[in-house]
Amino acid sequence: MSEMWVNMGPQHPMTHGLWNLRVRIDGEMIVEVDPEMGYLHRGIEKISEDRHYNEVITLMDRTCYVAGMAWEHLYVMGAEKALGIVPPERAEWIRMLSEEFQRLASHIMWYAAFVQDLGLMSPFLYGMRDRDLILDLFQSYTGGRLTYEYMRVGGVRNDLPEGFPAQARQVLDWLEPRLVEYDRLCMGSEIFRRRCDGLGVLKANDCVRLGVTGPMLRSAGSKRDIRKDRPYSRYSQVEFDVATADSSDVTGRYLVRMEEMRQSIRILRQALDWLEHHPGPVLADRLPRWLGAPYAPMGREGYLLKRNYPKGVGLSAIEEPHGEACAYVVNEGGEHPYRVKFRSPVFANLSACSHYLVGYHIADIPPIMGSVDVCVGEVDR
Amino acid sequence: MEWNAEGVRAQLAAAGAPGILSVDPFDGAAARVRFSPESASALFPVLRDALGFTHLSTVGGIDWVERYEVFYLLWSDAAKRYLLLSADLDAKTPHIETASTVWPSANWHEREAWELVGIGFDHHPDLRHLLMPDGYSFHPLQRSFKLHEPEDLEVKVRHV
Repeated sequence: MSEMWVNMGPQHPMTHGLWNLRVRIDGEMIVEVDPEMGYLHRGIEKISEDRHYNEVITLMDRTCYVAGMAWEHLYVMGAEKALGIVPPERAEWIRMLSEEFQRLASHIMWYAAFVQDLGLMSPFLYGMRDRDLILDLFQSYTGGRLTYEYMRVGGVRNDLPEGFPAQARQVLDWLEPRLVEYDRLCMGSEIFRRRCDGLGVLKANDCVRLGVTGPMLRSAGSKRDIRKDRPYSRYSQVEFDVATADSSDVTGRYLVRMEEMRQSIRILRQALDWLEHHPGPVLADRLPRWLGAPYAPMGREGYLLKRNYPKGVGLSAIEEPHGEACAYVVNEGGEHPYRVKFRSPVFANLSACSHYLVGYHIADIPPIMGSVDVCVGEVDR
Repeated sequence: MEWNAEGVRAQLAAAGAPGILSVDPFDGAAARVRFSPESASALFPVLRDALGFTHLSTVGGIDWVERYEVFYLLWSDAAKRYLLLSADLDAKTPHIETASTVWPSANWHEREAWELVGIGFDHHPDLRHLLMPDGYSFHPLQRSFKLHEPEDLEVKVRHV
């Protein structure tokens, strides 16, 4: 049969965002793939060069709209290194707590979307229901449910509200048995296993060669996790295990994310215990005035002062829900960053897609791309 | 083995790495290594095979007006350290040998650096537009690309 090109996207249930996967097929078999990106390119790196340091945080929430906290954390750490600012201890713990809650929310969102691609409707609704509880927690201390604008260069905007730890523990107590339920729905289902086992295989050495990180790499048996290998924030002070699997296929990535959720709950419990007993400031004192007053959200007041601040370059890396994310912030002494470069994990994971799609059937694309957990916002930036 | 600037310098010398201009300490990474762009194709395999930097995180470019800078962020699983590599390119026709023959993951990162910053990557297997539409002739991350229109630019309305 003659080969032909098929466009999957930009509007297709598999894409989870706006991008186009061009597939050349021979009958049912995938012969070649060519992803077309750029539908969601907003030029975040360019806009950052025209914003004050704290104003870039607004853009970070929009970089990956399901993992806003993680991107805020990445950027503020990079900017702090470039500016030579050290945040207080409590702010670091709150940031770690926020990032782990975000990882939970992001993985639950992934679970909901992934199983829906496979045709299971009820887990989608369960996932959305449980994610909402985490969004409620975010709302209680940031005011936002999707775009938080919570972290600041030098700390976080405000402390947690009274009674937050008890409320958060209630959510975690509810979520823990739900994860068992999720697992029974999927791993106990013959249909799920037959659609996922042995699909989209990418071995560990290929992952390293192609720059693939995060759950995809760990599902191939590698233990690389920036939280363990290069601890940032206060990850060196909490106990958790790196989730791995060895099948390097779709089921493996599912198992890794499920285990990561359990480990996130473990980290969150330790962080909540710490936060309960260690009150303190959440924003560094004597911040330069051009960074803005703590409660003045993002105004331009004070920014026009002539500043005389040392130049610097900041490099930060975090284990984002999708993998390794890096930020490179160049401070040339101006009131805006001179250059900000972000490394998006999904960008690299997606660039390797011909290696885990070619040779499978066209009907395997939704489960495989679902297991990659594509967030187009951070690919295109 | 120490993974600081001295350690990296000693290892680069022992491995016979060509074209190294300087090795400086860098906060958050093992070191910042500056190299001359002509020796890129000889240097990259040494970093991967002799020093163990098997993972290329990202490639980016900076427009410094009087010159361009291209930087590579590498990661070593054995050392659990980043290494920042950078080279200065001339402002007229900035170009450097592709890293995608050594680290295939450089493919998309270099496509992005080419279309947004305007750095050419010689012998790149597939230097096409990635985020911008085909035929887009600007490089938005260059300093000469202004985000706002000049204020004195009036919108001319043609009355018929």
